[in-house]
Amino acid sequence: MRARSTGQREERQQAFKCGLEIHIQLDTRRKLFCGCATTMAEKEPTGVVVRKQHPVASELGEIDVAAQYEFLRDRVFHYQVFRNETCLVDLDEEPPHPVNPEALQIALQIAMLLNCDIPPEVHVMRKTVIDGSNTAGFQRTMVVGTSGFLSFKDREVPISYLTLEEDAAGIIREEDGIVTYRLNRLGVPLVEIGTGLLEGYSPEDVQEIAYTIGIISKSTGRVKRGIGTIRQDVNISVRPEGRVELKGVQDLGVLSKVIRTEVQRQLGLDTVKHETRAIRPDGTSEFLRPLPGSARMYPETDLPPIVLGKDFLAKIRRELPESWTKKLERFARELKLSDQLARQILRSDYLSLFEKIVNSVDVEPSVVASAFLSTLKDLEKRSGVKVENLTDQHFEDLFKLLAEKTILKEALPEILKDAAERPDQRIYDVVKSLNLGLLTESELREIVSRVLKKEHASAEKAVGLVMSQVRGRADPQMVIALVKEMSKSYR
Amino acid sequence: MYSERLKSELSKSRAEVGDLLRITKPRVIYEGVLMPKTILSSSSALTLKLASGYNVSIEYEEAMRIEVLSKGKPVEFVPAESLPEKDPTKPSVVILGSGGTIGSRVEYLLGSVYPAFSPQDLVLAVPELKQLANIEGRKIFDLFSNDVTVEHWKILCQEVQKEVRNGVDGVILTHGTDTMCYTAAALSFMLRNLPAPVVMVGSQRSSDRGSSDNYVNLMCSVLTACNSDIAEVTVCMHGTEGDEFCYVHQATKCRKMHASRRDAFRSINTLPFAKVWYRERSIEYLRDDYHKRGQGEFYLDTKMNPNVLMLYEHPNLRPEIINRLANEIDGLVMVATGLGHVHTNHFNDPLGVSIQEALENLIKSGIPVVFAPQTLYGRLNLNVYASGRKLRAIGVIGDGADWLPETAYIKLMWVLGHTKEMDEITKMMMTNLAGEISDRTINETYLA
Repeated sequence: MRARSTGQREERQQAFKCGLEIHIQLDTRRKLFCGCATTMAEKEPTGVVVRKQHPVASELGEIDVAAQYEFLRDRVFHYQVFRNETCLVDLDEEPPHPVNPEALQIALQIAMLLNCDIPPEVHVMRKTVIDGSNTAGFQRTMVVGTSGFLSFKDREVPISYLTLEEDAAGIIREEDGIVTYRLNRLGVPLVEIGTGLLEGYSPEDVQEIAYTIGIISKSTGRVKRGIGTIRQDVNISVRPEGRVELKGVQDLGVLSKVIRTEVQRQLGLDTVKHETRAIRPDGTSEFLRPLPGSARMYPETDLPPIVLGKDFLAKIRRELPESWTKKLERFARELKLSDQLARQILRSDYLSLFEKIVNSVDVEPSVVASAFLSTLKDLEKRSGVKVENLTDQHFEDLFKLLAEKTILKEALPEILKDAAERPDQRIYDVVKSLNLGLLTESELREIVSRVLKKEHASAEKAVGLVMSQVRGRADPQMVIALVKEMSKSYR
Repeated sequence: MYSERLKSELSKSRAEVGDLLRITKPRVIYEGVLMPKTILSSSSALTLKLASGYNVSIEYEEAMRIEVLSKGKPVEFVPAESLPEKDPTKPSVVILGSGGTIGSRVEYLLGSVYPAFSPQDLVLAVPELKQLANIEGRKIFDLFSNDVTVEHWKILCQEVQKEVRNGVDGVILTHGTDTMCYTAAALSFMLRNLPAPVVMVGSQRSSDRGSSDNYVNLMCSVLTACNSDIAEVTVCMHGTEGDEFCYVHQATKCRKMHASRRDAFRSINTLPFAKVWYRERSIEYLRDDYHKRGQGEFYLDTKMNPNVLMLYEHPNLRPEIINRLANEIDGLVMVATGLGHVHTNHFNDPLGVSIQEALENLIKSGIPVVFAPQTLYGRLNLNVYASGRKLRAIGVIGDGADWLPETAYIKLMWVLGHTKEMDEITKMMMTNLAGEISDRTINETYLA
């Protein structure tokens, strides 16, 4: 974090208002409106469906039909389909199934954790989308909470709404008027959390608020992890008129920089146009399109309103996960994590997996936490390892082996690297093929005796020689003890 | 319906659907437009459309205050009236509306579906239609397709007759898709020697969405109506899941084979007449054996006896049920299994049941029994098995036919509108009148 004092002095001069919209994919077994898997893992499409879309005449006149017409006339959409992850609903060839109750429950949990008002019934809406990313031409979305808040630095940060909606198809490329989409992301449940107007906060505060919303959502243990699973948009204005929407900040760590840069940019302009800008990886932005008016939305006529019974809501409220502040205390008290480590693991995508492992496997929590926090980061940054290939099963097996003392913690980076490179292997096979299993005492004695016989070395030198052969496969203390013991008989 | 308390609260504040309301609760204030009550929603809640566009329900509570901020304007559709001036170099096409998804539109504020899309509105929705032809249109009726009856078929025929006598180049009938093939088959028997194409078209996706199939289906049906020489009743619908081409199906050989897909309509036991490529605006003929413009003398023959029943053969069907039909119906279409079989208890199994005698009694009392295949694909053959031979011997009609059950049903109604003589009925049924019976089936037609 930047030096606090100078930062705050800057902000007093650069007052800004902003609002956050945070999108978080939910980790359900099925999509929001059909029975497809939400894994988004299939590589090869089984086919492509070619479609056009056409402008729809609008009575309310909120979407410029002429602009729609121009846009759609010049584009053909190619939709890739997948065996397990797409079906007729995704292809807009079958009406939606009833809302996935698992997704609805998770969204309600998050809404309750954010102190939202829960409506007595939920109305599914169609929001017109014209870029082809929804095969129907609209996205289905519903409000499950309004008027909430979260506590931050003794203030209440307003939460305007929480919606549950279907994710759009992922774009692959646009070439010569052909836009290609993968349909396997379409329909994956997503919550969108919108804050009220944030005034009088620093860019760092806003970033912290975003983190906190993420932590609260993750505390359900039911949100997806990895790149693209959390996306945020931020609306910023430095003057009463002219609001700019910055879309698609994927890395929370750059949010404060994004805000700072945009505030500077707006201050340098005479007038600020209403527009949408896309975030570049370096935190600066580029023009995307003018801001639409209030999006055209109308009821999804294929689904009746969902009445949320009092008993149903009471049950969800009873079973809410512990609050993140309590969790933080508990991690320090019971798991003996340092405050810093506890805060980091709370923010981590691996929070729920961390909790599962420390609850079920007899292994030092700080070892598990630092594997998730620093080992993975190192592998990613230094060796370019694709850590997103690692599955929950990989980690669970790994820590089981560690608890059984089949492997040593020093061997973790190498095992994880190999597993991420060839993710089809099981951890047991990785350990075997890398020859990283802990040596038995007799195997170790054999090595020590070989070194002592061959080298006629001093005890200190022998320890070094043995260690170079067994690193990661034997406890150094044990090596020292054995060398000490056995060197006597070779003297 | 609203609960009594909510109802009185609303009337006290004079709030009506469409009004902009402010609702003040102890912790929250909502502002939005009051939505109509829908059937399945909670009686103790009202629904507002917020400025964000979302509909949100608000539970009634004692401490709640309702204020009307401004009165709403009534929402109504004004159908498009004027169409552009005619271009004398272009062919003329008339669109007749009879309802269905293609003839409906969503009212965006309230979300209700109106069956009010006039043919003029279709032209407004698909402006490219004007490039193909001079288009006129009118609504004949607004119906869910399941509600269409024999009498509606007759009205449609008269309307078509009026148009083709006026010299129009082609007629398009919009129709709900569920029973579109029944109407298409009925019109095929009633409209004899048509001088111009009569193209039926519908849509599987509502017109409010950018992905609706109405665009491609309408373009292709207008191309067929004005540019093809297929002077028959046809069904023009999506050929694939994508937006590439439409098939032009022969009315008596076409069936809706999927509950929701765009390409639900398939030709059975035959190829479609043509493929129509909407972007290329071209027609690719797949057959040449259709009735062409100018062949024969056009006339209308709408005599029909609707008192016909379709019955699905299945194990355990009791003969008493069939016996009871004798006083109720004038004709029976038995949708039989395989090559044309029903249970005759051929081996006199003590647990077996036979409906052979019941069918025979119907025939003896002058009620024709016509067979059609449950398999849809393939041709009846009552010679292969003993039970088939027995059924043929008692006078069951249909041996050798490759017709669809629905087409056999329509045809029997039409034939019974013309004669009551069993010999004549049999002769007419077994004569191909509208392409419903063919004498050969080519292999590429199966599940195509």
